[in-house]
Amino acid sequence: MAWRNLWRNRRRTVITSASVLFAVVFALFFRSLQLGSYDYMFKSAIESYTGYIQIQHHDFWEERIVDNTFTIKPELNNRILQDENILATIPRFESFALASSGPQTKGVMVIGIDPEKENYLSEVENKLVRYRLTPEAVSRIKSDRTIPEKVGNLLDLYQGNSYTNSGRMQLDLGISDKDAGSLMPVIEKEARFENGHISMGMPGAWIGDKLSRYLEIGIGDTLVLIGQGYHATSAAGKYEIKGIVKQPAPDIDNKIVYLPLDVCQDLFNAPGNLTSLVLHVGDNSDRAVEETLNRMEPLISEPCRLIEWKEMNEVLVSQLDADNKSGMIMIGILYLVIAFGVFGTVLMMTAERRREFGVLVAIGMQKKKLASVVSLEMLYIGFLGILGGSFLAIPIILYGQTHPIVFKGTFAKMWEDFGFEPIMAFQGIDYYFLWQIFIVAIMVLIALMAPVRRILGMNVVNALKA
Amino acid sequence: MKVLEIKNLHKIYNTTQIRVHAVNGIDLDFEEGEFAAIVGPSGSGKTTLLNLIGGLDKPTEGEILVNGVNLSTLKSSEIIDFRLRNIGFVFQSYNLIPVLTAGENVEFIMGLQKWDRKKRDERTRELLKAVGLEERIHSRPSKLSGGQQQRVAVARALASKPQFVLADEPTANLDSKSTETLLEIMESLNREERITFIFSTHDARVVKKARRVITLEDGKILSDETRN
Repeated sequence: MAWRNLWRNRRRTVITSASVLFAVVFALFFRSLQLGSYDYMFKSAIESYTGYIQIQHHDFWEERIVDNTFTIKPELNNRILQDENILATIPRFESFALASSGPQTKGVMVIGIDPEKENYLSEVENKLVRYRLTPEAVSRIKSDRTIPEKVGNLLDLYQGNSYTNSGRMQLDLGISDKDAGSLMPVIEKEARFENGHISMGMPGAWIGDKLSRYLEIGIGDTLVLIGQGYHATSAAGKYEIKGIVKQPAPDIDNKIVYLPLDVCQDLFNAPGNLTSLVLHVGDNSDRAVEETLNRMEPLISEPCRLIEWKEMNEVLVSQLDADNKSGMIMIGILYLVIAFGVFGTVLMMTAERRREFGVLVAIGMQKKKLASVVSLEMLYIGFLGILGGSFLAIPIILYGQTHPIVFKGTFAKMWEDFGFEPIMAFQGIDYYFLWQIFIVAIMVLIALMAPVRRILGMNVVNALKA
Repeated sequence: MKVLEIKNLHKIYNTTQIRVHAVNGIDLDFEEGEFAAIVGPSGSGKTTLLNLIGGLDKPTEGEILVNGVNLSTLKSSEIIDFRLRNIGFVFQSYNLIPVLTAGENVEFIMGLQKWDRKKRDERTRELLKAVGLEERIHSRPSKLSGGQQQRVAVARALASKPQFVLADEPTANLDSKSTETLLEIMESLNREERITFIFSTHDARVVKKARRVITLEDGKILSDETRN
């Protein structure tokens, strides 16, 4: 009978199950966006810089001075590399210095890297600026008659921006894939930005895009670094700028200087010393990282220690934890709105059928039986809504996973000012998916109590007058 | 044989402002096969009396005995079950279940009593034939006229072979031709199946057909007239 009621009153069934369907879609969409964005932030912080496990001098994390460095023997390095989950070891030498060019000076983070090994993790080379919309480039592009006025206006808006690939530039300039074939070659040609390489033993530097703007320097200019070297020696050097790197995290972008590892060690008078050795893991799940740490523990002795990503990204972890809590409040409010939507629809359905319920009891149907039929109807509706919502949400989430929301214009700038990359990513299908479905199912069950309560406490005479 | 006995029945509604004595000390008996009309002006207590007889409402005082069973002694779930097996209802506004066809509406009551499929089908066809709607067995209520819906409601009321049928203003929403047809059907079912019909009505045509007319005023019996 429950199924017949639903089938023969399709309009009511569709309206009620639509409320559940949208509840599922919204809950899944927002949770996927929320978790995906956190994941993206973690990944861009961890995978672009710290990695999941590092070896450091015991005191380095607390006191980041070049005296707290260590050396690593090749035999130990080889033993580490024999571990099943470690794909590579990436040596680094990090310190701080005062960077200067002409009248501009700024405290910067100097990182000595092995550019080839760095490709395993931070892929610094892929972050080299390939295109830059300099005033001259914008003027040359706009003088081309094939460039539409709309694109010209956006070129003015984004003048000065740098890009590591043409895709983001195309997005910012509002050029559709259809027009990209004719417009992008012109823009790419005029905005092309050539970088040079840095390699071990060759003095040269890559610097952050924002830092280059602050110091007003470009390729071929000289950067002077002054700092404190190993055991209080003075560290000073001048380096030719070989490339400009655009880091996703703006607060790193405005202070980073990359030098070849040995050049950096020489600058700080600590040849062969490292501040960290990143152990690049293949499986980065919490369990695998934990197991890798356990296997590494016996190999590492004083003055070194193993440090994991949570400790290295404590600020980000607590920031995202706090954000997650406020996100939970937001999603709680969303659940509340959804619950009221479902509840309202169920109440409307109950009110609409009050007379029908009264008649059924009047002609001899037990209230409990009626309540169980209506409950079954609601469960069918809930099942239909949840099933439909899941089927609708899956392609949206999968699409969003491969096409994250990239903010543009002033909103993007606002995000960058807050220190975030202006991207909202989606989390793929995971446990949260089942959780959202479970939560909506609970809402349906709670909403179900309304008609059940109404039926069990129904005054038949009043119901017949409805 | 008495199918229904009503003894010193009272129903008082207490609202926030006034106290309404809707049924005020009614004593009545109904024999098997009666065709009785309860008449009276609006507010005289007709519908309240029918609701009390049908166990839809509880009396403030007094007793209602159906075949010797005192309704006041039954729990509410027992009253519903008792109603299912012993009392048929016809409402003023038909009150058919909109998602069920005419046949399914009639069959529904038998289904609740767990009759077997074959018996249900036979009885449904028999009753719809009796009310002249056998060919509309698969029609949903929305596809039937008011008169046809009320005839299905009568068939539904008789489905479980009740002791008596309570009909609250059954012709109030019908035109004269439909009223005439419905009354003829009810009269013939009353004669052939010996089912007691008790109506509340304003309709002179119903009163004319009734063999017993009980007149109420202010919840009391003003007159109780039996005709041959």
